[in-house]
Amino acid sequence: MKVLAIVAAALRRFVRERSNVFFVFILPLGIILLIGVQFGGEFRPTVGVHLAPGAGPVGTEVVRILGATDEVQVRAYDTEAELVDAVELGGLAAGVTVPGDLEATLAAGGAGEVGFVARPDGTGPQLAVVVQEAVAAATDTIAAARAAVELGVDPAAALELADSVEDAVPEIIVTTTTTGEELFAGVEGRFDTGAAGQLVLFTFLTGLAGSADLIQSRTLGVTRRIMGTPTSVGTIVTGEAMGRFAVVFAQALYILVATLLLFRVDWGDPVAAAAILVTFSAVGAGAAMLMGALFRNDAQAGSVGIMAGIGLAGIGGAMLPLELFSPTMQTVARFTPHAWALDAFAETVRRDGIVVDILPQLGVLAAFAVVLIAVASWRMRIVVTRA
Amino acid sequence: MGGNGPVLEAVGLRKRFGDLEAVRGVGFTIDPGETYGLLGPNGAGKTTTISMVSGLLEKDAGEVTIAGLPVTTTALEPKRLVGLVPQEVAIYPDLTARENLRFFGRLYEMTGKALAQRIDEVLAVIGLSDRADDRAKDFSGGMKRRLNIGIGLLHRPALLILDEPTVGVDPQSRNAILESIEELSAEGMAVLYTTHYMEEAERLCDRVGIIDQGEIRAEGTRRQLVESIGEQDRLRIEASGPLREVSARLGELPGVTGTSAGDGVVEVLADDGGAILSPALALLAAAGVAVSSVTIEEPDLEAVFLHLTGKALRD
Ligand SMILES: Nc1ncnc2c1ncn2[C@@H]1O[C@H](COP(=O)(O)OP(=O)(O)OP(=O)(O)O)[C@@H](O)[C@H]1O
Ligand SMILES: [Mg+2]
Repeated sequence: MKVLAIVAAALRRFVRERSNVFFVFILPLGIILLIGVQFGGEFRPTVGVHLAPGAGPVGTEVVRILGATDEVQVRAYDTEAELVDAVELGGLAAGVTVPGDLEATLAAGGAGEVGFVARPDGTGPQLAVVVQEAVAAATDTIAAARAAVELGVDPAAALELADSVEDAVPEIIVTTTTTGEELFAGVEGRFDTGAAGQLVLFTFLTGLAGSADLIQSRTLGVTRRIMGTPTSVGTIVTGEAMGRFAVVFAQALYILVATLLLFRVDWGDPVAAAAILVTFSAVGAGAAMLMGALFRNDAQAGSVGIMAGIGLAGIGGAMLPLELFSPTMQTVARFTPHAWALDAFAETVRRDGIVVDILPQLGVLAAFAVVLIAVASWRMRIVVTRA
Repeated sequence: MGGNGPVLEAVGLRKRFGDLEAVRGVGFTIDPGETYGLLGPNGAGKTTTISMVSGLLEKDAGEVTIAGLPVTTTALEPKRLVGLVPQEVAIYPDLTARENLRFFGRLYEMTGKALAQRIDEVLAVIGLSDRADDRAKDFSGGMKRRLNIGIGLLHRPALLILDEPTVGVDPQSRNAILESIEELSAEGMAVLYTTHYMEEAERLCDRVGIIDQGEIRAEGTRRQLVESIGEQDRLRIEASGPLREVSARLGELPGVTGTSAGDGVVEVLADDGGAILSPALALLAAAGVAVSSVTIEEPDLEAVFLHLTGKALRD
């Protein structure tokens, strides 16, 4: 009962904070909308492709697959220089160059390299992921075709065969019927890009920035006053921990539900999504509690919280896809809960995974949460009794 | 409550902060329905004493029991019997008056209809019924103070502890607050009240403990305290000039037991007011002080304090 009173007060204070209306409720959706508009739908960005002579079937296949996705349009360029110019001048969102020795390198068993050019701003990073996926798919098809050739099939026929094998895999089509008017009609998939990143970014950020509330309670003397009521320290710490969790979870749930309803963002299996949200929110709550216990000045905690929230999100791959990180930075990213949550979402959203597929990620997030909450509770006990 | 024993019993309380011993062996008892005042200047140790009494601060030495239950920082039972109104306004500014009351009501284990009804009663007592659903941060300083007090009244505690609750409150609101405390006391609530306003202590308190530098220097009813300083007169001199210097020299006159200088006022405590009058005036004239009025009055608690400590309450 008392725990619930403390949780309710924490939630109420969070909702009342005027600046939260913007940062918590409007900004995350705004950013997801912005990325979606830039990237998806009718505004399909154009990717230029230059196939050097001798690029071979892999090159052709990359162009074919890229052209087949509904995420980008493809335009062919005769020279690499023209392509790069077009990217530089902004006529193209990005460019792909397939070198002339690709076929030969692959045939010799080496690792082929496909070039990707983009400006540092804009949708380049997301497009790089699209191109990487296309290259991977092309390589698979070519490998299958090559296997067929080795079995004595004519090369052209083999490629056709490899394609048809993929097509022949039975598909189950889910027909979704919706009713009523959609605010953003026909947007399925358009806003998926970046939604998970923004969710983890804002969830953690809101948690850390909200740690200022805990400090305010102490500086206002409310914590001390609560100590004067028949309420044990354990109850106070539990209540504050659950209050932080409620705030962080509310932010995560809001982004998930709002983007699902407004932008039809695909969050994958609902049970898996709930599991990620709960464990990640627990990590955020633990971090918020720890900050609330360690800092003495609420304004300071607020601004450090915002910096740490954005920094960790950046390192953890919430802003740029982890796939684009250098191997070192990918390792560093593993020290942030963000990377694990994003990894879990990649598994469930892109590869249709369910809870059992993301048990490792959930385990790591849970471990993060347990350690943070344990340390924070210990500090809080001390700070609260001193208040 | 444990029968008809005292509601509060504090014995030999001590608290040290580094080099400073803020409370040095303070003890007192409060009976049911009694209002006890701790009267003392800034830094006397009032808040430190109250913090130990209400189980917020670890004691270095001494014992406190409330209705016979030993008070510690972790014991919840005695805290059920206490309503605490801290010196600093301790409320959530983002919550409304009603929400603040509900929050603390639930921590005092009140629920449902009983709580809602009691909140309405308290809102009426503190005169905030028509602002109940406004956020506390939009309140005036005095309204915040009243809400601060309301939280302490919610669960009808056996002992209400108020730490200088009227600082910064306008005279009208202050009167309303004092009246409601008098009513609660008439209903049988015991009250521990700290203040450095002599008038409040005189008006509210059945008994007063005069506290200075961490010690209770004297204790009793107003009458007892005034009588304890003997047959003394209080000379109240309204004047302008170098009052502080002159007040020190007045203290050297024979028969003077204490002096204090305030804003345009010098007070002199003496065995015989009449006998001291002319040497005092001569001294003032020599020092270039322009006297506008002189009155000889009965001693009050202020005079008692002056007598005991040699200084004024409001320095
Ligand atoms: N937490 C603390 N750490 C160090 N010194 C303290 C602490 N709390 C109080 N003191 C010191 O103890 C002495 C008594 O303080 P206390 O707050 O009890 O006085 P008070 O009688 O309530 O005064 P006021 O009328 O100004 O509220 C003061 O000198 C104060 O500086
Ligand atoms: Mg005080």
